[in-house]
Order: sequence, then C-alpha cells, then structure tokens
Amino acid sequence: MGILAIVVLPFLIVIIPIIGLIRKVAVYEEFVEGAKEGFQIGVRIIPYLVAILVAIGMFRASGAMDFFTGLLKPGLAYIGFPVDVLPMAIMRPLTGSGSVGVLADLIANFGEDSYVVKVAATMFGSTETTFYVLAVYFGAVGIKKTRYAVQAGLIADLASIIAAVIVCSWLLS
Amino acid sequence: MLNYIWGGLIVLSFVFALGNDFKDYYSNTYQNGQLREAQLISADQNASAPFKSLLVISTDTLHVLVRPKAGEIRFSDATVLPILWQKIWQESRAKDNEPFRAEIKTWDKQSGNVTITLPEVHFVKLKAITNAAFNTAKTAVELAIGLVGIMAFWLGLMEIAEKSGIIENLVKVVQPILHFLFPDIPKNHPALGTISLNLTANILGLGNAATPLGIKAMEELQTLNDDKETATDSMIMFLTMNTASVQLVPPVTLIALMGVGVGEILPAIILTTVISLAVGVITAKWFAKKHKMAKGAN
Repeated sequence: MGILAIVVLPFLIVIIPIIGLIRKVAVYEEFVEGAKEGFQIGVRIIPYLVAILVAIGMFRASGAMDFFTGLLKPGLAYIGFPVDVLPMAIMRPLTGSGSVGVLADLIANFGEDSYVVKVAATMFGSTETTFYVLAVYFGAVGIKKTRYAVQAGLIADLASIIAAVIVCSWLLS
Repeated sequence: MLNYIWGGLIVLSFVFALGNDFKDYYSNTYQNGQLREAQLISADQNASAPFKSLLVISTDTLHVLVRPKAGEIRFSDATVLPILWQKIWQESRAKDNEPFRAEIKTWDKQSGNVTITLPEVHFVKLKAITNAAFNTAKTAVELAIGLVGIMAFWLGLMEIAEKSGIIENLVKVVQPILHFLFPDIPKNHPALGTISLNLTANILGLGNAATPLGIKAMEELQTLNDDKETATDSMIMFLTMNTASVQLVPPVTLIALMGVGVGEILPAIILTTVISLAVGVITAKWFAKKHKMAKGAN
C-alpha cells in the first residue's frame, strides 16, 4: 500500500462516523442497515462474473492468443511497435490475473529495467480490466443490456495502448 | 455487442483448441507411441517385487522404481526429466500427485536393455479449455464472495455518510464539475456524491474502497433508470471512467512486481491514463449523442 492509502483510508473510516455522531445520526443502526446489502450484491454479481471470466478463461487456454500475437506481429513491427509487449496489449482488457502473469514473464525474460517491461508496465498501470469492471459494476445492479459500454471501454483501452507506446518512447528512451 | 464478443470468445476458443490439437496430432508433438531404448542398471534382474534402479537413456541417468509385475517403470523425480517428458507427464496424469509411468515393452534381463513407451497425450487444448471453464467459474464465485465483506463495510459507512448529510455536502462541491460528464443526473442527486467518492478513491489508488463505492454509485444511477435491465448513458460514462482508471500513485501490483523501479515510469503511466480517460469520455459522449439522435428521429 502506498503512503497515501495508509493515511487517507483510516482518516476516511473515522471521519464519517464522527460527523454522523455530531449530526445526531444513529451510527451503529445506520451502518448495519447499509451493510445488509453487501451480501446480496456479492451474490448478484456471481452470474455476470462467471459468464465473463469463463469465456475469457477458455479463450486464454485455447492458445488463440498466440495465434493473434503471431498474426499481428509483422505488421506492428513494421510500424515500429515494440512487439514483445503485444501479449500485454491483448491481455490487459481481458484479464487482470492474466496480465499480471504476462508482466511477470516479461520481467523474467527481459529484466526490470528493460524498455519492454517499462512499456508493458505503463500499459498495465494505465487501464483497468475492462471486462471485469463491466461484469462487477453492471452485475451489481442487474444490467444485462450494455449498449455501447464495451465499445467505449475498448476504444479507451486501444487509446491507452497506443498512448503507452508513444509516451514511453518520448519520456523513457 | 457484448453478446457477440461473449459468444465469439467461446466459439473461437473451441476452434483454436481443436486446431491446435490437430496440429499436435499431425506433427506428433508428444511423440505418441514412440519406442525408446534404455538400459536398466540393477543388482537384482530377476526380482518380481518392485525394486529401485537406475535407468540410462541417451545421456541421462534417472532414478526409477521398476515394477516387473505391472510391466512399468515409475520415475522417482519427474522434475529432472527432459522438458518434453515433463510436458507429457503433466498432460497425461489424471491427478497432480500421480507418478510418471512408462510402460516396459521389451526387457532383456541379461543385458538390462529395455524399450519403453511413454503415456500417450491427446487433445491437450480441448482438455485445457474445459478445465479453464470449470476453474474460472469457481474463481468467479470466490472473487464475488470475497467482495462481500469489504462491500458490506463500505456500504455501511456510506449509509452513515448519507444519513448525516455528508454526501449532500459533497454533491454541492462536485456538481459543477460532474454535471458536464453526467448531464442526465438531476441536480443535488446523491449519485454525484458517490461518483465523486469513487473517482477520488481511484485517483488515490485506494483499490479496495473504489470498487464498493463504484457499486454504490451504480445503485444510485439505477434509481434514475426507467429500464432496469438496460444501461443508461450516465452508467456507461461512469464505467468508462473507471476502466480508464486515472491513478496518481503506482498500482500496488506494479510495486510488488517491479519494486522501486515503478517511480521512473509513473509520469508515463499518468500521462497515458489521462489520454485514455480523455478518449474514453469523448467516445462515450459521442455514442450517447448518436443514440439520442437516433431516438429523436424515431
């Protein structure tokens, strides 16, 4: 945990009940009332999360990723894209644990200080796992019809992949 | 769109798994059925009870347990085997702790010369996608249940915050900024307060607070929704901002993996994330406008 989290979190946790007490709120009763919902939300998310994670898990296990990496490599190498970070670019929007694995692999193969790892880490740090966030947030309130949410999320991801390559070549090399 | 992506992922996994398995079959990646010549070095060649021995195969000398009755050899330490053999072991065993066995085809007891075959391996990827489906289904439930405690905690705190008017105060402060992004949320609505708390938690890298606060915000947005199964423009805008995850401190996972080296790339991360946030917001806005126009035309 960063220093900020160490300071901010306890402050936030304490300040809310204090203000509640000052403003004569039945803090314990209200806390329990609100917390009640935690379990239902957790359970409500399950079907959405199962659906998304299973599809992505199968896709990863099938070896399709290697095929797409191989397919995209020549073209991307031609325009100067560091092809070694390609697995990260493909994996990042799909799975959080998968992209951690990719990053760990890259560190093992190229070393922490390598340019490839820095670009991959920038990609990793600059977006969330789109499909996971979508499953959790929409699942929690029971949204099935997502309209243009996936498109918007993936376009933002694509932007961050391209931006990571350009920004790194500008700032880090 | 999600329907096609979801269905596509599942169909593609099957197609690729099958394709990879056929490739393995034709190029015989796992050398199925190949006879391997080796030599057993042992004091007791005529024993019928299992005995320990050494197996010499090409340049390797391996510790094995010979079981004459079963006609098999068990490798004592599978981790020292050639990589392809280890792969065969992993793919052919039913359980993780199963020993690696080879079948004895011929055995000349005088010289100790044996020919052995390794277990056959078929349909590796098809098995892999099935296992992946079952395992990730389990993981998904564990993840969701794992959220329950922290979720209950933050929802409890948020209830206090709401009842004591903290959210209301917050809404007043953030309203001017957030109104541009969420024009559909009515003035002084508590959703603006929880959205701002979620975004703040994201910016400060408070991962385990951000998700419950985000879900709380989604619930507030859902109260404004006429069609409870369909996402609103505000919901999608909020989701997009969360997937772009503007964060001013390095993510915990990166620190764990890279150590202090993270400091150097932090400016790159922040710049990249701001760009992707901007693109995400513009894209969501554009889509919202397009949909509104399509609706107006009807």
